Amino acid sequence: MSPENKIRLDLLRSAPLNKWIALSEDESTIVAVGETFGEVSELIDRAGITDPVILKTPQAWVPISV
Amino acid sequence: MKIPYRVFPDQYGSFVYSVRLRVNVALPNPGSPRTRQFEAIIDSGASRCVFHSNIGRFLGLDIESGEKEITQGIGGLADTYLHDISLYIPGGPVTIKAAFKEDLPIAALLGMNGFFEHFVITFDQQALTCELDRVFQA
Repeated sequence: MSPENKIRLDLLRSAPLNKWIALSEDESTIVAVGETFGEVSELIDRAGITDPVILKTPQAWVPISV
Repeated sequence: MKIPYRVFPDQYGSFVYSVRLRVNVALPNPGSPRTRQFEAIIDSGASRCVFHSNIGRFLGLDIESGEKEITQGIGGLADTYLHDISLYIPGGPVTIKAAFKEDLPIAALLGMNGFFEHFVITFDQQALTCELDRVFQA
């Protein structure tokens, strides 16, 4: 596993479940957590964070089949 | 462009790989502001692009006012609602008819209609990369 993916994996394991989260551009830090996509977007805007990426965490880390 | 496979935890303390692309969306009207970028799964099993309803509401869409489309997933039938949006992807934005779903466990899926049709896509499980070559049709 690449070092970047190792950092990302540890970060996601520590992330709250069933939330919207934003990671820093390099995916090394969780920079915002919210109940909705809009809430996280607003937190990012207010903090002036550049180029984060937003993810939705699932209810549990189980395989996804939609 | 080549994008590396991304990791996600699994329930056994190990991990799984997934192919995800950072995208933005906007209303299709010229000059509409884009969302922040979010991660969407590149999913050849999805007939069209599907987004969490939360993202649509953030854009200002009245989700349930869209055309209702019943989809057949592995978990059974589900209601989705269709809306036109701009999807910002490598090579430039496209206007697509996207489905919005309330209880999607992830932010979005990039499916056959609206995404795959614009690329030649190569999944390389050995190199753990996915190559996207944009196709521009005359």
